[in-house]
Amino acid sequence: MNKLLAGLAISTLTAVTTTSSLAADPIRIGAATYGLQGEFMQLWSNALKDHPAVKSGDVEITVFDGRYDALVQSSQFDSMITRQYDAILFVPIDANACVGPVIQATTAGIPVVGSNTRCNTDQLAAFVGSDDVLAGQMVAEEVIDKVGDKGKVVIIEGPIGQSAQIDRAKGIDKVLAEHPDVKVLERRTANWSRAESLSLMENWLTAHRGEIDGVIAQNDEMAIGAIQAIQASGLSVDDISVAGVDGITDALKAVQKGQMATILQDATAQAQGALDVALAKLGKADELPQSDTWTRYPDLAWNNGASDTYNIPWTVVGNDNVESLLAQRQQ
Amino acid sequence: MSQSSSLTSSPVPKGKPSHNLASFMSDYGIVIAFIVLCVVLSVVSPYFLGVNNLLNVLRQVSINGVLAIGMTFVILTRGIDLSVGSVMAFSAMVAASFAGASADYGLILPILLGLGAGLVLGSINGLMVARFAIPPFVMTLGMLSMARGLTYIYSDGMPISSLSSHFLWLGQGMVAGIPVPVLLFATVFIIAWFTLRYTAFGRYVYAIGGNPTASRLSGINVRRITFSVYAISGILCGLAGLMIAARTSAALPQAGVAYELDAIAAVVIGGTSLAGGKGRIIGTLFGVLIIGVINNGLDLLGVSSFYQQLVKGAIIVIAVMLDRSRLTNA
Repeated sequence: MNKLLAGLAISTLTAVTTTSSLAADPIRIGAATYGLQGEFMQLWSNALKDHPAVKSGDVEITVFDGRYDALVQSSQFDSMITRQYDAILFVPIDANACVGPVIQATTAGIPVVGSNTRCNTDQLAAFVGSDDVLAGQMVAEEVIDKVGDKGKVVIIEGPIGQSAQIDRAKGIDKVLAEHPDVKVLERRTANWSRAESLSLMENWLTAHRGEIDGVIAQNDEMAIGAIQAIQASGLSVDDISVAGVDGITDALKAVQKGQMATILQDATAQAQGALDVALAKLGKADELPQSDTWTRYPDLAWNNGASDTYNIPWTVVGNDNVESLLAQRQQ
Repeated sequence: MSQSSSLTSSPVPKGKPSHNLASFMSDYGIVIAFIVLCVVLSVVSPYFLGVNNLLNVLRQVSINGVLAIGMTFVILTRGIDLSVGSVMAFSAMVAASFAGASADYGLILPILLGLGAGLVLGSINGLMVARFAIPPFVMTLGMLSMARGLTYIYSDGMPISSLSSHFLWLGQGMVAGIPVPVLLFATVFIIAWFTLRYTAFGRYVYAIGGNPTASRLSGINVRRITFSVYAISGILCGLAGLMIAARTSAALPQAGVAYELDAIAAVVIGGTSLAGGKGRIIGTLFGVLIIGVINNGLDLLGVSSFYQQLVKGAIIVIAVMLDRSRLTNA
């Protein structure tokens, strides 16, 4: 832990020396992620490093790996406060465990801008993320549109109790309530895991042979697991509609092959938008906003960075936009 | 079993009927438990006994099965290998990086590299435990973290997908109607069973678990045997890595988290003593099958996964309880 921090400190120091020729006093911003192991947080942190203000050297970003542990995130906040970062971008692992660190930082005069995952506190300077309830609605609608009002579906959920699972489930339930004749054959967690979802779906295909019309998965990994189970059991994905959430690269490829639909969560907009808002709160940048997030989503009001909540829209990925999204990933 | 009892100086008492019943139960209790479970499940779920479902169960257990076989060797020597899930993930990543559909190196190279990656990490475990007397729990706990770290470093945190079709055959293919992972599991099982039952190496594994000091005094190269069991566990992690990458069509950096728990559970349910020296590979086979059948059965019945975890945990405790009563009876 100490070695990790020392390593980060050294890399920060080198960053300072390399950028000092460009800007006299770069704005130091800490990005506390819940963990860098998944593809989504990788895309998120890479997007931060590609933000125009970071590239120009005006802003210096240090990314922290929270290692999926609220306690680790809390101690990373301690050191960011000690080292007096100008602002913190925060993607908490848990919506409640994050409250303490946020209050600590705010009390120390450091604004905290939440990104991606909500935190149950009014102390955040702002929140830039996507509404998971909406994602749940969209993924459910995507499947029910195809299976019809009397279709039979199964629902594969994230780890029970995680905020994304709770909110996406809310959205799914809302749509199900509007379609009372849609029959939910099974509803279980596969803990965001492809391997777990694969076994689960194999077993469901046995228990409900020929009955399942659609699969509503709360994330793409699990949707892909379900597709693999469908193929392994000799059925065709043409007969079963599968949809997931997030828009990971494997899911985009599956959309391209016509195997599933996905609801893209825009990691780039969440990260770069949060940085724009943080800079606005600091009042330090001359021209704001700097990222192209706000031109890409004209309906998303910038409001000079003064809003409390910025909901980055979800995008349904289909044949019309999958090629260009995949091309962006290849870069 | 006969080898172990002759070397561990704990002969099974004979003569009294109560002991016969006890020893019968401890020898075949696991098989009886498995049969009872299957009968119950086939009564409550009409789908359970279908050929396709049984093949599903076998395919689902094959990865844990391969890990549990390596774990059996380690536990028989009084050791433990907590690193199997991470070593498996690392091997999967190494193999997948040479099994892309676009840059195709054939099937042999990724297989060798996957097995090799597991063998190298397993050998490091073995070397540190056997040569430098690091407690197995500590060494493999360290390796659990190191191998996971290597996986992330090697993959830069990103999954490797788009694997070549012949690599995917390892996880999704069929030979004569039997899934390839099941055949791999069966092959590993037969080799392990033969090794433990009919070779000098197998007898030494039991001996050093039963009584390391006596084994050393009787001229057994305890270090070499100890090293070997961790190397075996490592290479089997490599095989499991090939199987999971091929089954899920991708090597995922977060794959295999907590898989050591299911592998240890299968060994313990199968009656192998954590104190070393006692146990049989056939018990591990049934331990693996019991876990797989419970998961499958509760899925078929639509039972919440919360209960699934509850049941699995209870079975582990009951299995160890039976194991304890056997020790005190003997």
